[in-house]
Amino acid sequence: MSDRFDSLFGQTLAILFALGLGALVILTVDESPVRVFLTLLNGAFGSPERIAGTLLQTTPILICGIAACISFRGGLFNIGIEGQLFMGGFWATWVGFSFNLPPALHLLLAMAAAVIAGMAWIAIPAFFRARYKTNEVVSTILANYVAILFTSYLTINWFKRSGGQSETPPIFESAYLPELFSFSRLNWGLIIGLALAVGVYLFFTRTARGYAVSEMGANPKFAEYGGIDIKKQTFLVLIASGAVGGLAGGVEALGVHHRFMEGFAPGFGFDGVIAALLANGNPIGTIFTALFFGALRSGSLLLEVDTTASREIITVIQALIILAVSAQITIRRKASDSTAGERRWKF
Amino acid sequence: MSLAIELKSITKRFGSFVANEDVNLAVESGKIHAIIGENGAGKTTLMNVLFGLLQPDEGEIWIDGEKKVLPNPAAAIAAGIGMVHQHFKLVPSLTVAENVFLGMEIRKGGLIDHAAQIKRTAELSKQFGLQVDPTERVGLLSVGIEQRIEILKVLARGARIIILDEPTAVLTPQESRELFQTLRGFVAQGMTVIFISHHLEEVMEVSDNVSVLRLGKNVASRPTAELTKSDLVQLMVGRLVSFDRLPRVASAGKTVLEVEDLWARDDRRLPALRGVSFGVRAGEIVGIAGVAGNGQTELAEVLSGLRPSSYGAIKLNGRTITGLSAREIRAAGVGHVPGDRLVRGVDRNASISMNLLMGRQDQSPWSTHGIINRSYLLEQTQSLIKRFDIRARGPESTAKSLSGGNIQKIVLAREFTGSADCLLIDQPTRGVDIGAQEQIHGEIMRQRDAGKAILLISVQLDELIRLADRILVMFGGTIMGEIPGDRVDEEEIGMLMAGVVPEPHSNTVGAA
Repeated sequence: MSDRFDSLFGQTLAILFALGLGALVILTVDESPVRVFLTLLNGAFGSPERIAGTLLQTTPILICGIAACISFRGGLFNIGIEGQLFMGGFWATWVGFSFNLPPALHLLLAMAAAVIAGMAWIAIPAFFRARYKTNEVVSTILANYVAILFTSYLTINWFKRSGGQSETPPIFESAYLPELFSFSRLNWGLIIGLALAVGVYLFFTRTARGYAVSEMGANPKFAEYGGIDIKKQTFLVLIASGAVGGLAGGVEALGVHHRFMEGFAPGFGFDGVIAALLANGNPIGTIFTALFFGALRSGSLLLEVDTTASREIITVIQALIILAVSAQITIRRKASDSTAGERRWKF
Repeated sequence: MSLAIELKSITKRFGSFVANEDVNLAVESGKIHAIIGENGAGKTTLMNVLFGLLQPDEGEIWIDGEKKVLPNPAAAIAAGIGMVHQHFKLVPSLTVAENVFLGMEIRKGGLIDHAAQIKRTAELSKQFGLQVDPTERVGLLSVGIEQRIEILKVLARGARIIILDEPTAVLTPQESRELFQTLRGFVAQGMTVIFISHHLEEVMEVSDNVSVLRLGKNVASRPTAELTKSDLVQLMVGRLVSFDRLPRVASAGKTVLEVEDLWARDDRRLPALRGVSFGVRAGEIVGIAGVAGNGQTELAEVLSGLRPSSYGAIKLNGRTITGLSAREIRAAGVGHVPGDRLVRGVDRNASISMNLLMGRQDQSPWSTHGIINRSYLLEQTQSLIKRFDIRARGPESTAKSLSGGNIQKIVLAREFTGSADCLLIDQPTRGVDIGAQEQIHGEIMRQRDAGKAILLISVQLDELIRLADRILVMFGGTIMGEIPGDRVDEEEIGMLMAGVVPEPHSNTVGAA
């Protein structure tokens, strides 16, 4: 319990520190930090429409964050969620516009395509990590670039909507993820994300398999000694993480854009990784950190209208948060794990 | 004869633990001085004090006849001391010469003078017979050459007294011989070498003088030529304390564990087990004695499925289990108390109950349909805490908040309450206080009396004498001999541990 409190306290402090530094940056462009932060708040939560807009931005970050949590918990680091999201988004769209099927079935198949695409996209890094201990951080990052360019290639060269921009034809309405309210594009994706967060949390705290994965992440030698098949489980954990990453793309494509285009859902995968890191790999905590990032993104829309600060200030603030949090994680690890470095990620 | 180093009454404590107690050590200049002792005897601590990495709580350090205070390694280096650590600290992407001069680069006009560094490295390499190519990248080189670079680093900093901490631990026998040649070259040039080891052979081969540390104290300093290997063993492990042998009735039943001609390699891919054969019967404790590092750890790892064997057979209740995974061997009925309890035995950051769950999380009633049965786990944890007298605030206390003895009781509570017929117990009381030792020994005896077949590996002879029905002595990956637990001859066991087979009718060998 005190561990959990410490980490919550530490994360909050890190975010406040980053916001303080962000205020200094805002001062350098001759704008009032107070005004910028108030505008952000207003843009994110000022009306029901804006709250819905924030939640709309939160959804993909949350689902990507859950994908990251799954891998962190197993002591693995899937940084390729961005790529899995692009692949998932593309193939869900493909099923959405290529076939004309009954509503529920069509949606289900399109979602399944997203999940399978995400799994397929991490399969190679996962295999090499499990079999040869190839560093998954590097291989999944590299796979991102391939995924982004590959889906772009497919869109432009094979499936481009005639006469339009670099985008695919729209999907059939039978594959739409239903919207929650009439005044916003906010859709069932949010409910899926929240359910996943709770489900993954229960998986890790209540099930035998979740226990085995957690122990592999905490002390792989102990897990091996206890009879856990490290190679097999490493592969499966990464595949599961990739599946959720692909699902995030499917939700974004079927719920928001209803098509696939270049620059589809930029940066959600990376924001998800950071949201999960901020929450120390806890899926429930990730709900709140994802909301924080969603609010930053959505609030920034109002920023350029109401102030002289540019939207990029948000990127600066995010970068500062990452810096503050990673510094804090490093310091904490040094202080507490001086005897052995068996735990790669603390939760 | 002048003294290069004189340590006077050095005491170093870590909390309540005394790592070095009133150690006096005199190292003659121009000699190779070996420091020998078991793991945890305080060798490395003493050397860290000498190198300025640790500050002694009491005592004085004299170097070349002058009293010195060494607040940090820089001061030790300035005094002419160099240390080659067990774990190398090299940058793989830099060249040999760049590594040698890292942190003390030769400069010219604000830039690194690579040519001068390469030249100087080549000179040192030639002068001391440490062959290296100064322009090669370190990442491409073998461990033996990496060690040469570490030694060159020390020489480049002007060391006249060189400390080597377990230098042969990472070397092949061929590389070790080359190292010894180099060390002899050093003393021929008037330098002094301090050589830390727990390998008797090497100490006998290379050193002029030897000091034996035991439990933080210097128990003997003599010229090597005056000692035999079995003398060294006895000094290292101590005279046998008259530890009471626990009472027992002979109860050995059928053979449970059978090992036939087992071979395996260690982490360096060198043979660690060379044709080991033995059997363990139900209701019997078979002890494995030996100086640490003679294949005992590897034996336990192979038997528990954590390390592959390269040849031979392992049978459990007549069924071959060779090559099975750790999971399958557990399921077949083998429990394992690992020697490195904090690494393998527990997850330090997890609660007692989560540590007790390991290995049985898929079994009913610990879990049903994949869902952990929390109330059962809690109930079991509470009863095991009580039964094994684990001193903790509650089932949710983390393992790391407990003392070594109590952590070990968690491991025992888990491994002794499963359905295993055979228990592999490695160093059950290492780093455990006396009170907990008693309890752990009692628990092991209870398992024996319940009919379990027990293989007990320990470097503490007194522990084996107290518990074992038979003692097998390991040396260099083979079993040198067997001694009945109730008729242990100190001299005989010492010789076996040193790798000497006693002649049956001689009473002249090994006299101390």
